[in-house]
Amino acid sequence: MNFWIVLTVNSITFGGLLFLLASGFSLIFGLMRIPNLTHGSLFMLGAYVGGSIVIGLFGFKLNFWLAAVLASLTVAALGALIERFLLRQLPGDQLAQVLVTLGISFMAADFCLMVWGGDPMSVATPEGLGGFARAGGAVFPLYRLAIIAIAVVVAVALWLLLDRTRLGAMIRAGVDDPDMARVVGIRVSQLFTIVFALGAGLAAFAGIIGGPILSVYPGLDQDMLPLALLVVIIGGAGSLLGSFVGSILVGFIYNFGQALLPELAYFVLFLPMLLVLLLRPQGLFGRHVP
Amino acid sequence: MATSALRLENVDAFYGDSHVLQNVSFELGEARMLGLLGRNGAGKSTCMNVGMGLLSARRGEVSVFGEPVTKLSPEMIAARGVALVPQGRRIFRSLTVRENLIVAARKPDAGSKHAPWTIDTVFAMFPRLKERSNQMAAHLSGGEQQMLAIGRALMGNPRVLLMDEPSEGLAPQIVAEVMTTIRKLKESGLSIVLVEQNPNLVFDVADDIVILNTGGVAVVSTPAALRQDDALLRQHLGVF
Ligand SMILES: Nc1ncnc2c1ncn2[C@@H]1O[C@H](COP(=O)(O)OP(=O)(O)OP(=O)(O)O)[C@@H](O)[C@H]1O
Ligand SMILES: [Mg+2]
Repeated sequence: MNFWIVLTVNSITFGGLLFLLASGFSLIFGLMRIPNLTHGSLFMLGAYVGGSIVIGLFGFKLNFWLAAVLASLTVAALGALIERFLLRQLPGDQLAQVLVTLGISFMAADFCLMVWGGDPMSVATPEGLGGFARAGGAVFPLYRLAIIAIAVVVAVALWLLLDRTRLGAMIRAGVDDPDMARVVGIRVSQLFTIVFALGAGLAAFAGIIGGPILSVYPGLDQDMLPLALLVVIIGGAGSLLGSFVGSILVGFIYNFGQALLPELAYFVLFLPMLLVLLLRPQGLFGRHVP
Repeated sequence: MATSALRLENVDAFYGDSHVLQNVSFELGEARMLGLLGRNGAGKSTCMNVGMGLLSARRGEVSVFGEPVTKLSPEMIAARGVALVPQGRRIFRSLTVRENLIVAARKPDAGSKHAPWTIDTVFAMFPRLKERSNQMAAHLSGGEQQMLAIGRALMGNPRVLLMDEPSEGLAPQIVAEVMTTIRKLKESGLSIVLVEQNPNLVFDVADDIVILNTGGVAVVSTPAALRQDDALLRQHLGVF
């Protein structure tokens, strides 16, 4: 009994982390029509930078939450620079843009290996959240519950931004019909920078928040990127609801697959993707065929 | 000499390798309405795309109130007061009616003589949009979508309005409503290009007529003259 409850909580926690990672990936995909292959690297970079600030590697120390915010802002700024100075130079050439993001992801992996070495960096659970909550005979790690709460708060904030502001409506208009958005005067290229930076910041935030659970190690980027891709294909590019449902779904499939069918974990993981691509190529909640 | 609101001069345009517009020139006078006619595939929408910056002319020049806009992007041309009601309406389907209007809002140019268009004045013109303001645009009827496309263009407080087949696919009664709206807009002093397949719709409202045939300008005339010339109409527009 306990085993199932723990597995369920772990699945939702992992789904929450995935949502932080994949919501930005999905927005970028929906608006710019490219899978941003640096997204895993931005996740890993956020984890390394945040983790380093927590342990004082850069000569100063901050508590976990401040470090998370600082790392996210740093990586968001890096994302804005990548969009403005690299992707912007290749307007309309989506293949070239994807290749640029692939190149940057390899460079980022090398950079991280050089700076932080090959040993995993463990990130301590933030103070006060190391304990457990008990309910009806089951125990839940507090930190995992906190991640779920954070993911829900971010989901609501993103929903308010996208659904309740003029900027959000402009972003959705750009996802709907980029040419028409430009015709009505929306500066879509500026939206690209904003969305790319936002996505990068969220990915980094997911990285550092996930640090105490996943730890930080070379290859973390390539472990996470396919999962983000999976979420977006299942949920539908550009759809916030799709990212949310897709993340939780992938969180469950990933954890249950590894626990019950460890030899077939990847098979189980990617089977739904194939089914969605064959039966509903725009994803469960998407409107575009990616 | 009065400057024209929109002028295309010796424009050549291509989609990839296919040479769609050949040496196209015409001009829209200020506060006038130009009817742009032509068969399917004659190049009418391509002219609108060139005017709006969605397709850039490979040769020739496009200008708005005397200023060249040939190489400008659509958003920059929109900022100079050009708005498009595109063929097929192309409203933002996953936005509400109100959001469709809000995202297109632009302040009128300084010194504009007209009362600015706002969400309230657009709703006053199209009460049915107001009733549906919080509905998804995708759920509107064809006529309502056309009203929304027109309202969205007006939210940009344009000086030049390009309308690409606004009557396409609408019931006759709705077409009449749309034409009434267009007439009002013209009376307000807006300079308008009206693209249509059906010349009779255009003859009633336009001041000048340009007929395109296979990517070139075949006829420049007026409604009064063309009404008398069935042979010319048949030659360039087919039987009707
Ligand atoms: N995106 C495109 N790519 C390639 N060719 C195109 C494209 N759009 C239009 N064409 C071609 O350019 C020519 C002119 O098309 P255009 O859409 O301007 O015609 P139109 O006069 O607006 O016709 P309709 O009345 O059917 O709307 C046609 O031969 C068409 O097939
Ligand atoms: Mg057309």
